[in-house]
Amino acid sequence: MSSSAKTSRDVVIVEGVRTPFAKAGTKLKTVHAAKLGQIALKELIAKTNLDVNLVDEVIIGNTGSPSDAVNISRVIALNSGIPQKTSAYTVHRNCASALESISNGYEKIKSGTMDVVIAGGTENMSQMPLIMPSAITSIIERLGTAKTAGQRISALWDWLMADLKQIKEMVTTPPMARSKYKPIIAIVEGLTDPFVGINMMGTAEILAKEWGLTREMQDRFALNSHLKAFAARAKLAEEMISVYLEPDFKEVISEDIGPRGEQTMEALAKLKPMVDKLTGTITAGNACPITDGAAMMLIMSREKAEALGYKPVAKIRGYAFAGLEPERMGLGPVYSTPIALKRAGLTMKDMGRVELNEAFAAQVMSCQRAFDSDQFAKEKLGLSSKVGEVRDEILNVNGGAIALGHPVGATGTRLVLTLMKEMRRSNIEFGLATLCIGGGQGGAMIIENEG
Amino acid sequence: MSALQITEKNNTTYITFDLPNEKVNKLSTSVMKELKSTLEKLKTSNTKMVVFKSAKPKIFIAGADIEEINALKAEADVNYAVSEGQNIFNMIEDLPMPTMALINGACVGGGCELILACDYRIATDDSSTRIGLPETQLGILPGFGGCVRLPRVVGLQAALDVILAGKILNSKKAQKIGLVDSVVHPNLLESFSEKEIQKIISGGAKKRYKIFKARGLVGVLLEGPLKSVVFSKAKSATLKATKGHYPAPLAALEVIKKTYGQTDGQVNREKALKIERDYFTTCALTDISKNLIHVFYLTEMVKKSSGVVNKDVKAKSVQNLGVLGAGTMGGGIAYVAADKGIGVRVKDISHEANTKALKHAYDLWKKLVKKKVIDSYQFSQKTSLVSTGLDFSGFKNLDLTIEAIVEDMGIKQKVIAETAKHMRADAIIATNTSSLSVTEMSKGHPRPEFFAGMHFFSPVHKMPLVEVIRGEKTSDETIATVFELSKKMGKMPVVVKDGPGFLVNRLLLPYMAEAAFLLAEGMDIKTVDRAYVYDFGMPMGPFELMDSVGLDVCLKVLKIFKKAFPERVQISEAMEKLESNKKRLGQKTNLGFYKYDQSGRKLDVDETVYAELGLKNPTNPYDSKECVERGVFAMINECCIALDTDKIVDTPNEVDLAMIMGTGFPPFRGGLTKYADHVGAKYVSERLTHYAEARSAGGRLSPSSQLKARANSGKTFYS
Repeated sequence: MSSSAKTSRDVVIVEGVRTPFAKAGTKLKTVHAAKLGQIALKELIAKTNLDVNLVDEVIIGNTGSPSDAVNISRVIALNSGIPQKTSAYTVHRNCASALESISNGYEKIKSGTMDVVIAGGTENMSQMPLIMPSAITSIIERLGTAKTAGQRISALWDWLMADLKQIKEMVTTPPMARSKYKPIIAIVEGLTDPFVGINMMGTAEILAKEWGLTREMQDRFALNSHLKAFAARAKLAEEMISVYLEPDFKEVISEDIGPRGEQTMEALAKLKPMVDKLTGTITAGNACPITDGAAMMLIMSREKAEALGYKPVAKIRGYAFAGLEPERMGLGPVYSTPIALKRAGLTMKDMGRVELNEAFAAQVMSCQRAFDSDQFAKEKLGLSSKVGEVRDEILNVNGGAIALGHPVGATGTRLVLTLMKEMRRSNIEFGLATLCIGGGQGGAMIIENEG
Repeated sequence: MSALQITEKNNTTYITFDLPNEKVNKLSTSVMKELKSTLEKLKTSNTKMVVFKSAKPKIFIAGADIEEINALKAEADVNYAVSEGQNIFNMIEDLPMPTMALINGACVGGGCELILACDYRIATDDSSTRIGLPETQLGILPGFGGCVRLPRVVGLQAALDVILAGKILNSKKAQKIGLVDSVVHPNLLESFSEKEIQKIISGGAKKRYKIFKARGLVGVLLEGPLKSVVFSKAKSATLKATKGHYPAPLAALEVIKKTYGQTDGQVNREKALKIERDYFTTCALTDISKNLIHVFYLTEMVKKSSGVVNKDVKAKSVQNLGVLGAGTMGGGIAYVAADKGIGVRVKDISHEANTKALKHAYDLWKKLVKKKVIDSYQFSQKTSLVSTGLDFSGFKNLDLTIEAIVEDMGIKQKVIAETAKHMRADAIIATNTSSLSVTEMSKGHPRPEFFAGMHFFSPVHKMPLVEVIRGEKTSDETIATVFELSKKMGKMPVVVKDGPGFLVNRLLLPYMAEAAFLLAEGMDIKTVDRAYVYDFGMPMGPFELMDSVGLDVCLKVLKIFKKAFPERVQISEAMEKLESNKKRLGQKTNLGFYKYDQSGRKLDVDETVYAELGLKNPTNPYDSKECVERGVFAMINECCIALDTDKIVDTPNEVDLAMIMGTGFPPFRGGLTKYADHVGAKYVSERLTHYAEARSAGGRLSPSSQLKARANSGKTFYS
């Protein structure tokens, strides 16, 4: 296959940037998701000297929906200097929210509805809240509607008792375990499949066992992710902007906080399995960390980009989302990729680089095996033969989420961004960005180098 | 044509102010006459209620006509004009039917005094609605009963707060102190007031005569038995703020002290108003008042000006501003611009430098949040407007870039050339240089017509002046754009010609240089500074000023000047010795002539400085008059050359405005040239001749030919 003829309605990526990704609870923990998005978007506008009046729409992925910025896209747009007249909305497709934002923009441009779209994603997982359980909120509701002093005192007393029970439960039950009075940890709930009730780590554990992936294989994969990311710092810097930390402005974050050049198999081996203590292999070391960060992209119709004198980095050839069993959500890429390839008129063999999000080492390795399996293709995908091998040499060549982190609502854009910069650097014609999606889906996008 | 429209509706008479062919309503003599005859008729009418309102969109009444006040020279004329006003407002108060004012837009001075004579006051919550008594800022005091009625209506403490500082309140604050009864949306003013009027009429249409009632024990005590405490506190606060140079607030305080609580009944009221009238007359005839009105006109002049003569030239809109250099000046400029809603892109060579500008702005806004001037949402809007970079990203989107990098001609020219390459062809670059030639610098710009000077003063967020410097090739459009941008940033621009130190620094330099000679001749640092602050009225003396500018900068600029004007610039040896101590650079190193604490607050004089500069202990050989005259007259001397020969600015107006806004030259003196006219060129020339000889100052203090010419001809600056 080769590159298709250029048409005026081609959807091209003009430029993209991201903030450094920082492990949750570290340097970016105090920076609101809207602010992270704003910092990235303002720099994207500056880098491209974009006339903000030309932007048709701002589409941002986010899963946490901070309660003080529920349509976070609008907050980011206005604080970034996008005119008030310009539409902005937020999309949520779990881990693929920031791929969803690009695909939304792609459709609107492809159809001729729009010409200039800002797509991206942002997430601050450090700031995901603790939620009061209904056992306590019901008492507070009673307090609010109390009519007599007696009712009020009774409600206050019950509140006090409930608080004492909460403290008792906090001390006596395991940290992650749910109980009647303990606050609900939003992030734990968010990472638990709402259909089958299995935690994301549990879904990876299923894949590890089904595909026969040992702890050592997974740890080796994780180690490589760190070493690749650490070695690629200068390359990754090309896609990154700096974050100045308020209120002291003493620190400027210009590198990802996650990749460890000093990571070793020994250190990884020391970590305990998180779900299945007896035979489990999924540890904090071979899974991606929860992370804070944002990524933004400027996409346009080819005719608009040319009229404005831009030289696009890549063209979007096609994308697909597809569903599968929620408890095996990690295999999502294997389901979505063949559809995306078909829409793009390409095959896996055409792909010179693949960015496959590293939610878990076991999950990525399962995907590699499934991609390369005729049996899987026939049984699960209804295809006559395998989708095609994804060789280690072209997969996540600059490391992946195990090292870089996975700010859920931002990762989709980060994958496409990292992919297109790598394709440009290595003069690669086609690339695939794909990821698994909590809830049992996969997303994939195929891009073509414009260089 | 009539300025008042009289209409009837539902048993109510509406008096609508609408001065023909004017944007604002003023209480000029003719308007007041018309009002008087209207009130005379109403006295005997059977209307149930009288309501005052305005037909102007954002103005209720902007006060008395300042030009009329300013024109009055004789005591009897002032007295008569004021008593007429007082009588007419008494007539409002004495109307047999209740009265109401509907206030939308500015309601200040006489306008505020008019509503105080009414029984009821309803205001709108429009941002244009501003109510207050700014008279003391013009060196006078409220004379149409304001000093008498405001304390009665809102109580002693709130009234003193408004009158002594000349405050103007928004409607929310006006309601809080009880100056207005209700605040409603402008669209509801009519319907809401009609309902209120019907309530008043159906309640018997009674007069109200509001008297403030204090709340709480402390409040009651302070309004009554302990009011002397309030007065003495107010007095000491006023003296501290004015250093005794501004008599009007003190006069107003006296009026209130003598009349508070004793204004009920016609006889008492007349007595009280006479006191107010007498004090007003005294104040209105002082030079101080005339000078303050002069300054007021100067600021109005800037508001109306576009910075260029040609009225067809229009300023270009500046939505996005670039700032090169994230130092003190760059950070200050970024803050001021973003504070007014302009997007700012700061560029410096390192992240570390950029963080300084961000922090500077962030901290200033945080302070405003703390003081509740802005809320947290406005805070994040403002901070979001500033971003920084290390390269020229985003410069194509900028309409204008202000250069605030190191004061080095070669580097500046290079950076300007590079910047121009990254900006649109129609974008402007302005330099914030304080000492380098704008024309020379413009050679770095490929299109010098798009280049000008834009000189801010430090600290940028406090000092109102911006010198807009016209280089030889600067276009009118560029000047107009920089001028308009300065105004948009809340500053007072003055257009000046290129030349060493432009205007303000050129005039200040002889003043600072002279202070060093006073020091060398045995004067004490503190004594000299105090003379300027307390005797003359400068906000700070020359030594404190040098500390805040930076001693290294002062010396550097002095040397540039010596090169430019060798015949009249001398640098004291003591001053030159400052160079050796790199730790003594002024406020920025916490050590200069004074010591400073970590937060930069001035402590005492550093006594070791005398020995370090090779000086003996101070003997204070001169009186404060000499200290002040040598510095100020040196400025006047330089001003004659700058204005008469070099024509750095067009008129003395600009000199006075620039000196007041850029150096804090005492406003009550009306500015440097106004002051020169007051003392007379002849006197200035004689004293300088004397000092030049007696202190062997030579060319440094010798009167210039331009000054001598003025001394001989008696020609004043303002004539």
